[in-house]
Amino acid sequence: MSFAPLDPVLHSQLRLAVMSLLMAVDEGDFTFLLERTGATRGNLSVQITKLKEAGYITVKKTFKENYPNTLCRTTPKGVKAFEEYVRSIKGYLGK
Amino acid sequence: MPEINTKHMEKNMTPEESLKVIESMIGQAKRSFSSMSFYFLLWGVLLICAMITTYVLRDEPRSVSQGAVWAVAGILGGVVSSVHGIREGKRNRVSNPMDRVIGWLWSAFVITMVITIIVSVGHHRDPGPMITLITGFATFLTGQILRFRPLIIGGILFWAIGAAMHFTHDVLITSVLYCCAMLFGYIVPGLMLKHQENVLRTT
Repeated sequence: MSFAPLDPVLHSQLRLAVMSLLMAVDEGDFTFLLERTGATRGNLSVQITKLKEAGYITVKKTFKENYPNTLCRTTPKGVKAFEEYVRSIKGYLGK
Repeated sequence: MPEINTKHMEKNMTPEESLKVIESMIGQAKRSFSSMSFYFLLWGVLLICAMITTYVLRDEPRSVSQGAVWAVAGILGGVVSSVHGIREGKRNRVSNPMDRVIGWLWSAFVITMVITIIVSVGHHRDPGPMITLITGFATFLTGQILRFRPLIIGGILFWAIGAAMHFTHDVLITSVLYCCAMLFGYIVPGLMLKHQENVLRTT
């Protein structure tokens, strides 16, 4: 029995964590992702850029009470990739 | 909740680890909710006070005193709710679908309530029983969305009391029924929800 290869963009702990968080909400800001993942600022920033470059999330830079605020949300392409990834790992696990 | 170490982001994960990351993060996201208990407690206390004041003023000319009491309660509650909502919105770092749906649900409730009041007053009818019924509708749905049983029971109670209010014109009975609806439909579930929100935020 052969299994579909896992999406390399999502098969990374922090990127998968970010996508999982964003799948459960409409929109989350950088601090929310930082607090929930426990990642470092630099690392999170790099992984957000990779997800954005893959077209899985959109990143909007705004201001909140005079401070820069980075808002992230999933794109339809990202949602589809995430669902496909979940289906694949369930296939590996025989669920 | 299993702890996920996301610092080593390029570590090769097994499917089990991937699933653990997904489950853990979705669990984390679920804790990012707005506080709803404030609104139930505020409106519960405010409307019980309005009902008691209306009962005390029952012998005054109806059009002036009673209408004014409910208008003051409505405006006061609306202003305090709006200020609290704006403050919460500024603090929130995330917007989630559940908050959005509940927000629209209560906006629709307010619009329906205002129309009901205008139409009922225009036909010289007491809007109380109808408003109690639609309060049951909104409370029941909020309970279902939050999966919070005390609010579901509160919604059912509003329906039962709203229906009962249609069959009596006794001011004392109506007032007692309405206060019971507010106490067990808003205040008690509101206190229980506040406790649950505190527990979820600290775990």
